[in-house]
Amino acid sequence: MKRITKRFLFLLLAGIMMFSFFASHSEAFSGRDLAKGAKGDDVIELQARLQYIGFYHGEIDGNFGYGTYWALRNFQEQYGLPLDGIAGKGTQKKLKGISDYDEKYVKGQIAKGHQFTYYGGQSLESQVKKGSAPHKQSQTQMQAPPKYTDQDINLLANAVYGESRGEPYEGQVAVAAVILNRVEHADFPDSIGGVIFQPGAFTAVADGQIWLTPNERAKEAVIDAINGWDPSENAIYYFNPITATSKWIWSRPQIKKIGLHIFCD
Amino acid sequence: MKQMIFILTYAFIVLGIYTFGTVRENEDLSIALNGQYSKSMTDASQKLGELEEAVNKSLLFEDQKSSAKEREDIWRLSSDIKSSISSLPVDESFSTSWMNYLGRLGNFAKESTEQGDPDKYYGVMKRASENLNELTSEWQLATKDMFSRRMSMSNWEKKLRDSPDGQANWSKMGESVMEYTEAVFPLTASESDAEKKKELRNIKEKKITEDEAIQKFKKLLPSVSNDIIAAEKSRKGAPYPFYHIRFAENSSIGYLDLTEKGGHVLSYLVERRMGKPTVSYEELEKMADEFLQKAEYKDLVLEEARENDNAWHFVYVRVSPENDAKVFSDPIHIKLAKDNGEVIGLNASEYIRKEQPKPQPIRTAEWHTFFRPDVTVMAQELAYVENSQKEQRLAHYLTIVSGEENLETYKILVDTETLEVITTEKQ
Repeated sequence: MKRITKRFLFLLLAGIMMFSFFASHSEAFSGRDLAKGAKGDDVIELQARLQYIGFYHGEIDGNFGYGTYWALRNFQEQYGLPLDGIAGKGTQKKLKGISDYDEKYVKGQIAKGHQFTYYGGQSLESQVKKGSAPHKQSQTQMQAPPKYTDQDINLLANAVYGESRGEPYEGQVAVAAVILNRVEHADFPDSIGGVIFQPGAFTAVADGQIWLTPNERAKEAVIDAINGWDPSENAIYYFNPITATSKWIWSRPQIKKIGLHIFCD
Repeated sequence: MKQMIFILTYAFIVLGIYTFGTVRENEDLSIALNGQYSKSMTDASQKLGELEEAVNKSLLFEDQKSSAKEREDIWRLSSDIKSSISSLPVDESFSTSWMNYLGRLGNFAKESTEQGDPDKYYGVMKRASENLNELTSEWQLATKDMFSRRMSMSNWEKKLRDSPDGQANWSKMGESVMEYTEAVFPLTASESDAEKKKELRNIKEKKITEDEAIQKFKKLLPSVSNDIIAAEKSRKGAPYPFYHIRFAENSSIGYLDLTEKGGHVLSYLVERRMGKPTVSYEELEKMADEFLQKAEYKDLVLEEARENDNAWHFVYVRVSPENDAKVFSDPIHIKLAKDNGEVIGLNASEYIRKEQPKPQPIRTAEWHTFFRPDVTVMAQELAYVENSQKEQRLAHYLTIVSGEENLETYKILVDTETLEVITTEKQ
């Protein structure tokens, strides 16, 4: 009887230990292959696991950039896996087998905007730099060409929302494209902030609507514009003919009308 | 008595109008002023990041001539940041020490280009790079509230003045900058002009009619072209005339622009409600390839892919048939939905007028002496790229990494004839 009780207690204890291990070490790989350019929770897990075993030293931000790519290739090379820089099923399985992932810790630090690392064999507390600034790429969950910063994207989204939130999607992309066209144009300031806050350039800056919180649609429009779309067809001005008070704007060569806005050269 | 009531009422109304006008004016002024401060602030923040990048870029090359552009940028950017900082009502001690630091940094970069000792330059700038990295983090932390909580300039300034030790504050930042100044000293390029728009007005092909434009739309995108809302020609001021076709097919609303001459696709974009992602990256890439082949875009190669919430953006570039070099000025952007793989965007405006680069000799370089010892060339290809004189030049297209642990990746284009660096872009 004693032996049965002991066995029962042993099994129970083992069960509890296994449960607590799996419960605290979530396996979030979604099953999809991860390649350069990918983003999301499974990229966060990939970066965290690579860092845990010392291959990745960059920021854990969920964006699969070159830093993650080289780390992954080094990992694949060391473990005799196909050297393609893609985290396919085989690579993910191997990685899960030899690393750990504390999802609660990692995502918690990201949510709080802390600078942190996730190296194995070190206490987690010592790896958090509290009160630190969010890292340069971690504020938006958008992937943009390298020349655009998070601040550029946020400012553009604010401007698009403040200027054209009632307009069709095409018109919102066009407003973002006009701002970008101005940055490239010799007659305007050479930064996104400079263009948007140029005195008198945009109504939304003058009436404070630039500071409204942009919605997802405005953010999507910005992403399309910075990825190259320009429904304005290279316009550098636009105006609403119903509300425009400047006579000068009517003298600009008109390209097309989208929603309530006329886009001009 | 009646007169008295009349006068008082009149005075009350006048005073009311005056007060209303003044309050309104003050509000307008306050918003305008905050806009100005935010402009200076964003300029300073952006350029500080660019400055840090320029310093790092200038540290990549052994040969001083190769980093001449970066050094020039360091001087220009430090001067720009100084200008932005000087227009902000921030703590005087901090702004003075910061401007001093920037001035010394810019001058050092400028002087070392003219009469430099490479080893001294590397030693000083290596420390400047570390300082700038610290300073950028501190500045981001300091300006976080200003942007995220939309604080007024005066409240923000006061907050940083009153912040306790351990948090971002003027005195801490001022001390840091003074330390950096005493210890040592940093732009980046507006090299993005490579995306010069093509002169579409010079297309020589035959004009197509509105009906032909619609037929082309139906052939290219049969799934969304059944319900056309409007097809109209561009306005008279358009530098290159085009047709603008708008459609609404089921939940998809979008447009397609086609040139009048030749009927080439300029851009196409759809907005619709997106479902749960079900199509893998590999499948989407295959679908993008198939679409482009079917649309007669047959000389392209995938250069870059970026995932966003509902779609993948793919960037393809033309490949020159003579030497397999990528032609960066002839790209096509395509956007595919993650829920069903539908093509929901196409941008081919820069692909229409293909570049005609001239033949150019190809010299090889010893990359291990061209770069610093901690730089490794990971990939090498050929590519055509526009130089600062707006000429298409054949270049060695290098992907390099620098550093020991936290590898920084750069794309560098080196002219194959002169071996001059055309662009350096951090990834």
